[in-house]
Amino acid sequence: MSLRIFSTLIRLLSGGGLSAASRFIQEYPVEDVVNRARSGRYSVFPLKGVDEFGRALLGGPVYERAPLRFDILSRILLVPPLYTPHRLKKMEELMREPLFTDVKTSVRVGGFTASMPVVMASMGSTDVFNKVSLESARAAAKAGIPMGVGENVATVWGYGRRVKPSQPCFKERVMTYLGSCEEGFGGVVIQQSVEDAYDELWNRVYSDPDIEPYIAEGRVGFEIKLGQGAKPGLGGETFVGREQALRLSRKYAFDSDPEKVAKPLYERHSAPGTFTPDILRSMIRLMRNNYPRARLWLKCGPFRDISDVAKLSAGEGVDAFCIDGKEGGTGLSPITALKDLGLPLLACMARVRRNTGGSLDIVCSGRLVDGGDIVKVLALGARAAGLGRPIVLAAYSNGEEGVLNYLESLRLEIMMLVSALGKYDVSMVSDEDLAAVDRELARGLGIQHIYD
Amino acid sequence: MSVIMLINRKIRNQKEMLETLAQTLERSYRLVRDRRMKLVLRIQALAARSAREWLDSQGFLEMLPPIIGPVTDPGIRGAKQATVDFYGREYKVMSSAILYKQMLVSGIPKIYFFSPNIRLEPLDSAYTGRHLVEFVQLDLEMAEASYHDAMHTAENLLSHIISSVAENGYRELEELGRELRPFKPPYKRFTHAEVVEMLWKMGEKANPNTEIPWPLEEKLSRAIGEPFFITDYPKGARGFYDREDPARPGILRDFDLLYPEGFGEAASGAEREYEYSKILARLRETGENPAKYGWYQEMLRDGVPPSAGFGIGVERLTRYLCGLTAVWEARPYPKLAGIYSP
Repeated sequence: MSLRIFSTLIRLLSGGGLSAASRFIQEYPVEDVVNRARSGRYSVFPLKGVDEFGRALLGGPVYERAPLRFDILSRILLVPPLYTPHRLKKMEELMREPLFTDVKTSVRVGGFTASMPVVMASMGSTDVFNKVSLESARAAAKAGIPMGVGENVATVWGYGRRVKPSQPCFKERVMTYLGSCEEGFGGVVIQQSVEDAYDELWNRVYSDPDIEPYIAEGRVGFEIKLGQGAKPGLGGETFVGREQALRLSRKYAFDSDPEKVAKPLYERHSAPGTFTPDILRSMIRLMRNNYPRARLWLKCGPFRDISDVAKLSAGEGVDAFCIDGKEGGTGLSPITALKDLGLPLLACMARVRRNTGGSLDIVCSGRLVDGGDIVKVLALGARAAGLGRPIVLAAYSNGEEGVLNYLESLRLEIMMLVSALGKYDVSMVSDEDLAAVDRELARGLGIQHIYD
Repeated sequence: MSVIMLINRKIRNQKEMLETLAQTLERSYRLVRDRRMKLVLRIQALAARSAREWLDSQGFLEMLPPIIGPVTDPGIRGAKQATVDFYGREYKVMSSAILYKQMLVSGIPKIYFFSPNIRLEPLDSAYTGRHLVEFVQLDLEMAEASYHDAMHTAENLLSHIISSVAENGYRELEELGRELRPFKPPYKRFTHAEVVEMLWKMGEKANPNTEIPWPLEEKLSRAIGEPFFITDYPKGARGFYDREDPARPGILRDFDLLYPEGFGEAASGAEREYEYSKILARLRETGENPAKYGWYQEMLRDGVPPSAGFGIGVERLTRYLCGLTAVWEARPYPKLAGIYSP
């Protein structure tokens, strides 16, 4: 990857000049994602170019670059068996030896059909994503995966009309996606922050004549956000210029009153929202009551009581329950939160698995980058993986095509790994396909240990 | 043959219905010239007069309704509020005057008004025959009253209106071909849970945690054959102001009154939450920041009396009295979801 692109990415992702933040970015496999966005399916093999095959000695990455502070997905391996009754069955069906290309990747998740077990996670109003949101939306639609629309987009960038020429508004994102969707695939889920609720975003969407046909088709959902991976318990934090601060001064809290204090940038805070089991239950029921034709998704941050939340959600029959581990939802999170707030994805999964037993459509997110990550969370009981950052990176490095290439590389890897496990439908992978490298982790997740 | 009857006859499917409706409503200035519309409006006026007559005799005081305010009722299922620019700040057009009813009963114990409301309903509501974007509610509230008191008032009021209209509007009703049967209170009362069970027995899988869907309400209203109440809705099915029963968590002390003959909902009412901390938690159910309801919160902290009340949709009442197919036939300038009309 050229240094120029890399440094641009660092600048964009770190909001400019925050050296501590760029350290976090460097630990992220930026290069891998950019390579996928450019080379698509060829990036699946460790080659620089197609012609290199047969001439280079290749090896897989075995080492962690830095010591781990907690267990992440690399502490689990996918463990294929030799005896594969499902492969035999597939062979009977196909009347030939099955290949990895025979793996069925499409799944039903949260009331939608996805061409592969991937969801474009809800990303909000932050400039860095909003700028590439249309390319990303088009790619997600063409790839046939559901897309989330995060908080504050309508409030900050306008509902139906751009408030800033360079920034797409809310409805552009939604209509670009819905208008490019493949027949039968995909769906859009829309979040509403406390501040969006001020303008009744969901009601507005639900009564919008342009969106109505998609609501009638069951392609629209609403996502109640109960927190974000990297900053559970904190609301949206971002920086905005004076003009925007003045426009939004009644709807958000700012570090200083833009009408009284003039400065180039203001901290914009939004509230995390107050919940009790009673409030959450009523909220879910109110959503069902008010929007009977919309899918209902919940996105939960890595809270210590996540298993109680999941249990309540399962009881109320939500369409999807998204778990955002502390590795995810990094969009402008305070560094201290990135470091110290919340549970890692694996810990969340362990807690939820113990309490809900397969009655929920779970979507996992939090630093999921490649096909291996995705198959691992599927084996732990998720229906799909939510991807955020890699999509942004792919969009920046190669636009719509970059996102499509990246998704194609994932599809290929998913098919390979699932077929290696002797299965030909992604929904068949299960915890028997996993082994943890650590005893404590194996016990926590209820899976085998590599030396069992 | 009248325009309206022509439409009713022509309707074959939803799309055709919407197109025909739109064509008619775009020229709704013609409706008032229609003989049938004139009869309907006369019945409507008679109904309003008899309601005022009865309420005044019961010690209710008629108020002038609010039109706009910093906030309005957030508990309207799926409908968007209308916003106006108020000297650079956003004001809402009343989707219901519930917050002001609670305000009024802290000074005057029994009040009512004919309250004009705007609800930008979802587009599928254009087909139901029972939703208008702009409509009027006969809205009343009683201090220190329970929802049983409110139901008692509702059934007596409705019975009075029906018999008064049947008596004074018999010529109009006859011309409309409508036979109006009087009903004596008390009306039957079923809890929401009982109704869900009844529906399950009828083969309808009603959700025990939400309001009864419109088609099922209609089915019930046909089956029962007289006006009746559905009481004790589950929490989450209604607005934050319907009081949760302290003795039965999750159950609200509220009701709907339904017309017979498939005409569906007549009135919706409840005992109110009036304690600040309870309302605050309930307000969160809508996902909003309670700060938006500043004046309302301050008023609650000052203290408001317990109260109960209900609202009767005037156009739906007219629809029932006249036996109309759709509620838009009860307004000379109807506004339906998604249709641009005068």
